[in-house]
Amino acid sequence: MASTKGTPLQFDLDDEDLKLFLEEAEEQIELLDQSLVQLEGEPDPALVQRIFRAAHTLKGSSATIGHKKMASLTHAMETVLDAVRQGRRAPTSDVVDALLAGLDALRVLANEVVTRVDSGIETERLEADLMAVLEGDGPAVALPEAHDAPVYQVPAGALECCWEDVEQGQGIYFVDVTIASDCQLPSIRCYQVLQEMESIGKVAACWPERDVIEAGGGEYRMASLLVTRQTDEQVAAALKAVSDVAAVRLRQVPPAEATGPIEGFRDEPQQPAAARPEAGEAREDAPAETQRGANGRKASQSVRIDVERLDGLMNLVGELVIDRTRLQQVREQLSSVLRDASLSELMDNFEETTSHLARVTDELQEQIMRSRMLPVRSVLSRLPRLVRDVAVKCGKKVDLVTAGEETELDRSVIEEISDPLVHILRNAVDHGIESPEERRAAGKPETGTISVTAWNQETYIYLAVRDDGRGIDTSALRRKVVEKGLMTREAAEASTDDQVVQWIFMPGLSTAKQITDVSGRGVGMDIVRTNIERLNGQITVSSVPGKGTEVIIQLPLTLATTKALMVSANGTVYAIPLVSVTEALADHEADIHTVGGRKTLRLRHRLLPMIDLAAALGDTRPRMLPTDGYFVVAARHGDRQAAFIVDRLLGEQDVVVKSLGDMLGTRKGLTGATILGDGTLGLIVDIASLVTEQAAVAVPA
Amino acid sequence: MARFEAAPESTALPASEEHVVIFKLADEYYALDIQAVQEIVRMQTITSIPGADFWVEGITNLRGRVVPVIDLRKRCGVPASEYTPETRIVVVSSSTGMVGLIVDAVSEVMRIPGDQVEPPSAIVAGPENGYLRGVAKLEDRLVSLVDLEGVLPASADDYGSFSRAA
Repeated sequence: MASTKGTPLQFDLDDEDLKLFLEEAEEQIELLDQSLVQLEGEPDPALVQRIFRAAHTLKGSSATIGHKKMASLTHAMETVLDAVRQGRRAPTSDVVDALLAGLDALRVLANEVVTRVDSGIETERLEADLMAVLEGDGPAVALPEAHDAPVYQVPAGALECCWEDVEQGQGIYFVDVTIASDCQLPSIRCYQVLQEMESIGKVAACWPERDVIEAGGGEYRMASLLVTRQTDEQVAAALKAVSDVAAVRLRQVPPAEATGPIEGFRDEPQQPAAARPEAGEAREDAPAETQRGANGRKASQSVRIDVERLDGLMNLVGELVIDRTRLQQVREQLSSVLRDASLSELMDNFEETTSHLARVTDELQEQIMRSRMLPVRSVLSRLPRLVRDVAVKCGKKVDLVTAGEETELDRSVIEEISDPLVHILRNAVDHGIESPEERRAAGKPETGTISVTAWNQETYIYLAVRDDGRGIDTSALRRKVVEKGLMTREAAEASTDDQVVQWIFMPGLSTAKQITDVSGRGVGMDIVRTNIERLNGQITVSSVPGKGTEVIIQLPLTLATTKALMVSANGTVYAIPLVSVTEALADHEADIHTVGGRKTLRLRHRLLPMIDLAAALGDTRPRMLPTDGYFVVAARHGDRQAAFIVDRLLGEQDVVVKSLGDMLGTRKGLTGATILGDGTLGLIVDIASLVTEQAAVAVPA
Repeated sequence: MARFEAAPESTALPASEEHVVIFKLADEYYALDIQAVQEIVRMQTITSIPGADFWVEGITNLRGRVVPVIDLRKRCGVPASEYTPETRIVVVSSSTGMVGLIVDAVSEVMRIPGDQVEPPSAIVAGPENGYLRGVAKLEDRLVSLVDLEGVLPASADDYGSFSRAA
């Protein structure tokens, strides 16, 4: 096989199929990546079932497109997982290692579909390894019995399409269908059941999801939420008519329970296991559905939308928002001119229409914004594997706990937070958590805990990374700062521990005793902070010696819009992101001094260099400050501040951020442009780069 | 982007004919491949970008899109002149996205038979050669065929080197 490396490959798919295949493969691989790590030593039946199902789905889709190597490798993985699922093989670390090796190969194999070139992966060897593990004499363990009734989570808005029917008196039924265990093709039966339900009513939600069933992913149990005018007997009779349906159980759900506060009705207690074909079935399948239910949020009623199309919609809404603002301006102008009584009715009409338009536009903008939101899960799900790998390398024992996976944020932010988060976690494992011996000596459990929690507050998302490690060594930091000549010994000693902890964001500082290949990559916390501030976010750190460290990242929910202070300078309108503005004042209110020939602003016992905004950005046009006074905007980046001279303050505004385009690329000091109320463009200022540059200039003076 | 790249960027002169938009710059006629031209708009407000090259007039709002605008006179080394009611922005799609080109006037759309087009070096030799891919000798005038990718900086990186050189 190795000799085939580089040979062209052919697959049986067109561009659309390719996209679908890649999306699905990525999803399943991600799922495997996340859950395989948890498998080790913790054979939770729901988890095993989830993993098995992901491998099964991958096998199916790779076989469909004719990717033989991928299909046969996933088949081998599935075989091993099946043994684990049935309790014939315990998921010991050698099993997990073999599966992870297979998973890594799957990534490469999936990518062959894009490159169309043989990557030379030796699937036979990996398959042999998997089989060897299977035949190995690892102990068999009995999986814990699943006892609780499965919980089905109704996706938000699932019932939206059916309310009219419900209002007209149709019933909402929870339907649970069991397919006979001797059925050869349960997936087809599930599909038939789904079809049958759709012929007698509307299926508001389905477990497994509709698209899983349609893709042939149905198994021996399925459940759904059906809205129909038929009685429960009629429904049961219709569904039992489908071949191989062993049992149908259903129960009417009161609409009130189905609406519930947002999450809809949660609990759907199962009937006693009377209809379960055999104990083994029940053990495997019930938890599987629990898991489906938990994942139900992204279920049935969703449609994949091209990001470009969403961006297009976003652009159009941005236009609408601007038109709305212009209309409001026109209205104000009109009402000041047209004081004539005969026109008052007309004016009222006009006002009513504009304010309605304003409401609708706001709503539309909000909705489209929401449709761009993704749960942060896609980032958090990569972390367990990362933590495992790093922990193994460093000889640490670490448990990772994640929470708030459902927290949603704009996809543009999701793409940007992954790297900083990974870096912080690496640090936490490498520097934060102590070695097992050290921990034992300190009277702590050998296994350290790192938690990553996400939550929303107002228009921000917060991500907190906490570890129960040794905390930040402030005395080491003090030494380091002095050694590197960044500070005098006296200044370092005089700083409080809280201040010292913040020094980890100083450029070029690493407290690791030795450079490891884990964290010592030359990327420091200063880069992390810079990247986060570029996203108009903030990062804070706190630490208790011996107890642990906490890093909190605060980011705006979306990068598509940002709150900004609008100013004008030399005839151009600029937007300064509000998150970095500390103060804005008129020159006559400002305490301005000249220090070393430079204008300097004294603000709250600090001296800030004063910089002309237009000049700092490279505006070389003749510059004339307004004769009736100018304004000063103090802005910060980390602990550095500078004061920018502008002509006028134009107020705060939510601005829609637009790129300057490929041709202009990234300009110094600018992050993009935004459309103003009059249809012209304003420029969005990148405070981080300006403050860094100016502070560097200012220090020697 | 894929759509833009799909626009045929003819390197060899086709034997048949060229479908072009003719515009004027300092009393000379130039032609742009009609496939690359997205639209032609009247002069509108342009926001200048501090620190950008002198021939980058700035950015403008084209129905919600931010489009960079190049002053072709400045780019081609022709002395600047006041904008007139005839001044137009020709919006083209290039490998770096949409770009507006300020021209003195847009005169017409026409087909130029391939056999009337000659390589530029045969007529003139100068730095602007890089911007042209041929010259058509029509009955009443000469029309220079503009090489769009030659006129525009190819990417942000190239743009950087342009500005350093300037």
